[in-house]
Amino acid sequence: MIRLENVSKVYKGSVVALRDISTDIQKEEFVFLVGSSGSGKSTFIRLLLKEEQPSEGVIYVAGKDINQLPRWRVPYLRRNIGCVFQDFKLLSNKTVRENVAFALEVIGRPKHIINQRVPAIIDLVGLSEKLTNYPNELSGGEQQRVCIARAMVNRPPILLADEPTGNLDPSTSADIMNLLERLNESGTTVVIATHDHAVVDRSRKRVIELDGGKIVRDQVRGVYGMGGA
Amino acid sequence: MALRVNYFVDETISNLRRNVLLTLAAVSTVSISLLLLGVVLVGGEVLKKMVSSWEDKVELNVFLRDEATPEQVEELGSSISGMPEVSQRFFESKEQAFEEYRRMFKDSPAIVENVDPNALPASYRIKLKDPNQAEAVAARLQGQPGVDEVQFGGEAMKRLLKFTGVVKTILYIGIFLTLAAAILLIANTIRLGIYARRKEIGIMKLVGATNWFIRVPFLFEGAVQAVLGALLASGFIFAGKVFGLDRMQEVILFLPMTVGSGTVLRVFFILLLVGIAIGVFGSTLALRRFLEV
Repeated sequence: MIRLENVSKVYKGSVVALRDISTDIQKEEFVFLVGSSGSGKSTFIRLLLKEEQPSEGVIYVAGKDINQLPRWRVPYLRRNIGCVFQDFKLLSNKTVRENVAFALEVIGRPKHIINQRVPAIIDLVGLSEKLTNYPNELSGGEQQRVCIARAMVNRPPILLADEPTGNLDPSTSADIMNLLERLNESGTTVVIATHDHAVVDRSRKRVIELDGGKIVRDQVRGVYGMGGA
Repeated sequence: MALRVNYFVDETISNLRRNVLLTLAAVSTVSISLLLLGVVLVGGEVLKKMVSSWEDKVELNVFLRDEATPEQVEELGSSISGMPEVSQRFFESKEQAFEEYRRMFKDSPAIVENVDPNALPASYRIKLKDPNQAEAVAARLQGQPGVDEVQFGGEAMKRLLKFTGVVKTILYIGIFLTLAAAILLIANTIRLGIYARRKEIGIMKLVGATNWFIRVPFLFEGAVQAVLGALLASGFIFAGKVFGLDRMQEVILFLPMTVGSGTVLRVFFILLLVGIAIGVFGSTLALRRFLEV
């Protein structure tokens, strides 16, 4: 589903964010990307979204070499990837329902599809009661659920999450992780960049650890810290 | 595609409504900028009419000697008509000159009675295509058989022509400056509006909206704001014409002070086009920064 071959990324100047990374993430896998800040996690995600170009190497997303993708096709690449963020990135002047519907409207989906899918996905994340609430009337965990609903409403094969539990307390984090695992079980490839030890250790999923832009560990049923398994 | 148009229209209306303050700020900026431009355009129209009414009054008077023979008068007339600079030529006989004189002083019969109907000379009155050539034409006619004297306003007219030239230059500079100011103000307002919604644009890009899909509502908004601004500005200009210029014209009769409703309509269309062009162009330019990857 996602494959990186000898990918390096050097930012302007000479800041090296990724050095010669190669990895393969299969369809329907659930992968944690861990490492301290500055280890290259964010760059990894930005490259998959084609927000940045790799300095070297080849990246395949959903079977396509995204380096070869012309600029105007980039929006169509992103329709295959749902994104979840630490700061939720919800629109404060739209209701829960409108925030989720927005993701379908802006890619030109017809109204009857929107009317059918939006309530269903909001129900799935457990927010049916809050359809007409605005983001500032919701707790952090609820806002993250809206964000996940928005990422998933278009049914993308891949879900990328950048520190999804970064702003949440432990029990709320556990709820969010349960939700992400359920999405994974229903067939979505999930990649989570995090430095939240607790969620990684609890899930016992594949862990890729980055340090100084290199993959220093790739473990099938890993924990956050080295040698903790 | 019908569904998309619906989306764009809904999105434009709800954005305009949700950002009432921004919309108001944008519309008032647009209308003030366009108002400035409109005032200069209408003012220019009035000035042009004034200038051409002055220039129309520039006339060469070729006074004829009393002893000139009819043949000389005839020949002079046809040689004037043959000059390429001349646009019109009238002959005024001694009788017509006296009639005119009597008409001018009809309120003071004493002045009229003291003048011998024969004392006024016959003359040719000449209008020129370009008033600047008056001096040259006068010099050529001076001294021809039968000609007594040629008057062309001399220094006074030269000064008038210089003045109207300066007025025209100032007018063009004014149009240029107000147009430039309007472009800057409107483009800046659009940029503020887009900056206020950069988060929305970021999310749209993230969920895979194409650049055109992101751009179109902004272009619609820019255009709607431009139309509202142009309507408002033209409303003020029309009010200014009815309550300002038209009133002044009633008092000041000797100069053209006002413009027709047709001119106001023409100015409205100019403002509309300028507004929409700037709105659409400004949005496109301001969006470029936010649309890059």
